Amino acid sequence: MFSSGILTIMAAWDLSVTVEDLGPDTPPVTLSVTSDLHVGGVILKLVEKTQIKRDWSDHALWWEQKQRWLLRTAWTLEKYGIHADARLVFMPQHKPLKLGLPNGITLRLRACFSNPVFQTVIGICRMLNIRHPEELSLLRPLEEKKKKKDKDSTVEIYDLTEVPLSSVSRPCLYNGMPAHFADSPQMEAIYKMLSVTQPPPAPEVIAKQYRPASVVDKAHINGRWLDSSRCLMQQGIQENDKLWLRFKYFAFYDIEPKYDVVRLTQLYEQARWAILLEDIDCTEEEMMLFGALQYHISKVSQSEPQLLSSSAAMDDLESALQSLEVKMEGESSSASEMLENMTAPELNDYLKIFRPKRLTLKGYKQYWFKFQDTSISYFKSKEESIGEPIQQINLKGCEVAPDVNMAAQKFLIRLLIPAPEGMNEVYLRCENEQQYAQWMAACRLASKGKSLADSSYQSEIQSIHSFLAMQKTNSGSHGNAAASDESINTHSLVSPRYHKKYKAKQLTPRILDAYQNVAQFSLTEAVMRFLQIWQALPDFGLSYVVVRFKGSRKDEVLGIAPNRLIRIDLGVGDVVKTWRYNNMKQWNVNWDIKQMAIEFEGNVNIAFSCVTADCKIVHEFIGGYIFMSTRSREKSDTLNEELFHKLTGGHEAL
Amino acid sequence: IINNHYEEIDAPSAEEDSDKEDQDLDKMFGAWLGELDKLTQSLDDGRPEQSPQQKAPLRQETNMANFSYRFSIYNINEALNQGENVDLDALMADLCSIEQELSTINTKPNSAGGMARLGLTDTKVHTHTHACTQISVYNFCCCCHCVCVQEEQAAKLKAENIRVALEKIKEAQVKKLVIRVHLSDESSKTMMVDERQTVRQVLDSLLEKSHCGYSPDWSLVETINELQMERIFEDHENLVENLLNWTRDSQNRLMFTERIEKYALFKNPQNYLLGRKETCEMAERNKEALLEECFGGSSVSVPEMEGVLWLKEDGKKSWKKRYFLLRASGIYYVPKGKAKASRDLVCFLQLDHVNVYHGQDYKSKYKAPTDYCMVLKHPQIQKKSQYIKYLCCDDVRTLQQWINSIRIAKYGKQLYINFQEAMRRTEAAYDWSSLSSSSIKSGSSSSSLPESQSNHSSQSDSGVSEMTSAGHTRSQSVVSSIFSDAWRRGTQGEV
Repeated sequence: MFSSGILTIMAAWDLSVTVEDLGPDTPPVTLSVTSDLHVGGVILKLVEKTQIKRDWSDHALWWEQKQRWLLRTAWTLEKYGIHADARLVFMPQHKPLKLGLPNGITLRLRACFSNPVFQTVIGICRMLNIRHPEELSLLRPLEEKKKKKDKDSTVEIYDLTEVPLSSVSRPCLYNGMPAHFADSPQMEAIYKMLSVTQPPPAPEVIAKQYRPASVVDKAHINGRWLDSSRCLMQQGIQENDKLWLRFKYFAFYDIEPKYDVVRLTQLYEQARWAILLEDIDCTEEEMMLFGALQYHISKVSQSEPQLLSSSAAMDDLESALQSLEVKMEGESSSASEMLENMTAPELNDYLKIFRPKRLTLKGYKQYWFKFQDTSISYFKSKEESIGEPIQQINLKGCEVAPDVNMAAQKFLIRLLIPAPEGMNEVYLRCENEQQYAQWMAACRLASKGKSLADSSYQSEIQSIHSFLAMQKTNSGSHGNAAASDESINTHSLVSPRYHKKYKAKQLTPRILDAYQNVAQFSLTEAVMRFLQIWQALPDFGLSYVVVRFKGSRKDEVLGIAPNRLIRIDLGVGDVVKTWRYNNMKQWNVNWDIKQMAIEFEGNVNIAFSCVTADCKIVHEFIGGYIFMSTRSREKSDTLNEELFHKLTGGHEAL
Repeated sequence: IINNHYEEIDAPSAEEDSDKEDQDLDKMFGAWLGELDKLTQSLDDGRPEQSPQQKAPLRQETNMANFSYRFSIYNINEALNQGENVDLDALMADLCSIEQELSTINTKPNSAGGMARLGLTDTKVHTHTHACTQISVYNFCCCCHCVCVQEEQAAKLKAENIRVALEKIKEAQVKKLVIRVHLSDESSKTMMVDERQTVRQVLDSLLEKSHCGYSPDWSLVETINELQMERIFEDHENLVENLLNWTRDSQNRLMFTERIEKYALFKNPQNYLLGRKETCEMAERNKEALLEECFGGSSVSVPEMEGVLWLKEDGKKSWKKRYFLLRASGIYYVPKGKAKASRDLVCFLQLDHVNVYHGQDYKSKYKAPTDYCMVLKHPQIQKKSQYIKYLCCDDVRTLQQWINSIRIAKYGKQLYINFQEAMRRTEAAYDWSSLSSSSIKSGSSSSSLPESQSNHSSQSDSGVSEMTSAGHTRSQSVVSSIFSDAWRRGTQGEV
């Protein structure tokens, strides 16, 4: 050794490395190294010394004091600036993480702790089969308040840590799902959990959850987002910590129900909870419609879960069949349909009619009713039904509303029929559930210009029956909803505000009212409709941050939307100013004074410091939305990660 | 009709080598025009047989909806009484073509029962109209070498005949309406519309006939005199469906006129979509970006419209101020003493069943605070009613913003598609205007009856054998591409 020269003696020094896999009590391994040794060499020496034969390929060195990974194996220790005092840890780059999904389920999976979070999310999304991972990110969960009785708080965790990393990097679909989910029935069950909507939560569960009471409350959640340009280790996330995976950027690009099963389901769940917890405001009418859609979605996904999780080939067949159906309906040119129209089915029965607008004290009067095509005619009696009817009412274009009370056995169909003179109100009273379902279904179809011969007639009857069944179980009061669709409590479908305002049985007819417009939707259609209405809400897509504008003495709220920034005066609660990204010329961040400055066209300059979130988070939000808007222009499927970091990193002014 | 002719000439040409096609183009044009002459002649032959008065009962015999029949006759009578400015020739042509279609079903498809009807028509389909017979004979000549086994073909033919018969029954059931369209110079045109036609299609044929220069602003406007209100029909709407809402003694009018407000929203989106109080200019590039942002995504966001409007109280001539807000789910107002939090808003009305109209001269009619009024009502309501809602704005700008925002909330992306389509037509009109007029004229003369004729004639020749029809679709596209090439060359030459 001495003969090999002076240089070696001068440079050799001891480097101690903790090998995580040997356990916390094992002392660090000491290696004799020289400063010109590259990191790869260090790892090689280390592995030789531990004498453990295993796959070390995922392992890397973590420099504790500097909070950085030594991932460039060709770099020398000198280049990294590592000296004898460095405490290094040799550990896997992928570690288990507890991940809370938008649908409330917690997974345990291996996530990358060494790459920027942006990459980590891409990896997670690939494993879960979610396209467009750039729209999602990770955030620290809300601290759960420790309850006295702690027995309920153990949530079930679904384990995905066994999924080999190699299969995640090159996913191939099998039976419509990533191959690693097709391995075992357990894994398949987890995939189902990801891709099928959850049943409506029990009202108590909704009531127990944290609800933001003000826009400032809503602002606090945004302080929890992780920094996309740094890795999990650098942000103090430890193995087995819990994080939430959420859609962060509300610009959903290229949604394709066929490929986006998990993405759509999770998006729907996030939207549903945002509405149930009043994270986003809506009107009562909108709440009822959301309720009706949730009811329909949960019902349909229970009866036909195969629709969402079926293979691509099945989907093709299905869509082909569907389009065929549509075609036949649309053209109505097939022989069978012509025949059907010729021998159109009709309904005949005794019903009671009442016209509230007429100034008579007479109540309901019984007549013999005939439903044919899209019209109702009535006669004095069955015997006289061959002659001219007393009146014939065409229901095309009319409004149909239910007025049902199962307990009181009241089955009323309220019709609002347009006429040149205005709207005519007519009530039809049915004797029983069966009769009601038939006539109600016929009225609904007729209002859309469809006759009884329409293929949807039977399913319409079915959906009316099932909704009546729901009311039946509601009248007997019990709490454990969630179980089966027969026992859905309508309080599970609306925010707690309406739990106080209405009793479940008062709520049912209101939701039923909204339900009739959505009852015919397929599962995908209903989910898409839900998302559409959500996206059409005025406050949709706004992420709030409390800021202090330059020169202002009070806190204000900055709302960050996919296309604009808004300034909200906390005193008035009103939007005082809107700036659109389209007019944005440049934006800067001053890390020292934690201030952001934005310049818009027309010499508009704004500057603010952030109160409830780190400056970086706000910067990333704005840059992220600019990034999202660039996606439509480039057709390619590959993500321009460099551009994302350039736009969100804040290292250089744009 | 153009479609037929493609098929007729293409049959021989398809068998020739495609290399020769270019040289043969002139010949083909000649053949095509000759064919056209023959066809027009045959149409002319059929014409003098019956006068419109005789024709009308024939329509009555068929299974057409009674209402539409009465409606048409009423309009015809009115038109005849008016005398001078009725385009009787065009009307005759329309009526003749209907008559021809109907004559293919010699029996009247009435309530005699489905099966019976089917059986009858089965035997009668062989009698085609002049035009159809000619076509099928023509096709027979060039395709007889591919005749299959006799019995097999007979069976096929029979099946095909049933299908054709059903097609024709359906065709006969299509409502057609004779309408009067008023022009801005107080004149009017009478034309026939088919219940399947969209406003866009009717506008197109009106534009072709009236030679008034193409602009996306041409509109069909419904004016309801009794209520002093009007509405521009949207291009995607079905015209007949809307007109059937009129009562029989209706004083309503249908106007064909240019209206800049129809698509002002897309020409200056910054004045409508940004919720600004004052009008401003915007670079074209930014306008496009703004429109793409609003209408290009998966969901359309409704412009944030809110503010104080006057609401006419039911049955009274008094107007009350209220703070209204527009949301995708409908129009809301803020109840007295409440803040404008979403959950406290009261739903004024939902937009599914109502249309938005422009009220005229309401200052004198209803003592409105200003003349900038909009009306929301169900399209079927034609007379004064408590179900009609009247709102009054302070200025014309606010009114236009509200009306356009309601249109966006109601129709969403469709509105933008309509606009793009209208712009495409305008652009195309420049290209078309440089084409030789003879070929286009003949197409336009029957354009008020879309597809109807071409449809069933192609039905009947596909009835000859399966193989010919397969050959047709292929060669048709070849020929049409040759045509378009030729047109392109033609236009380039003129430039």
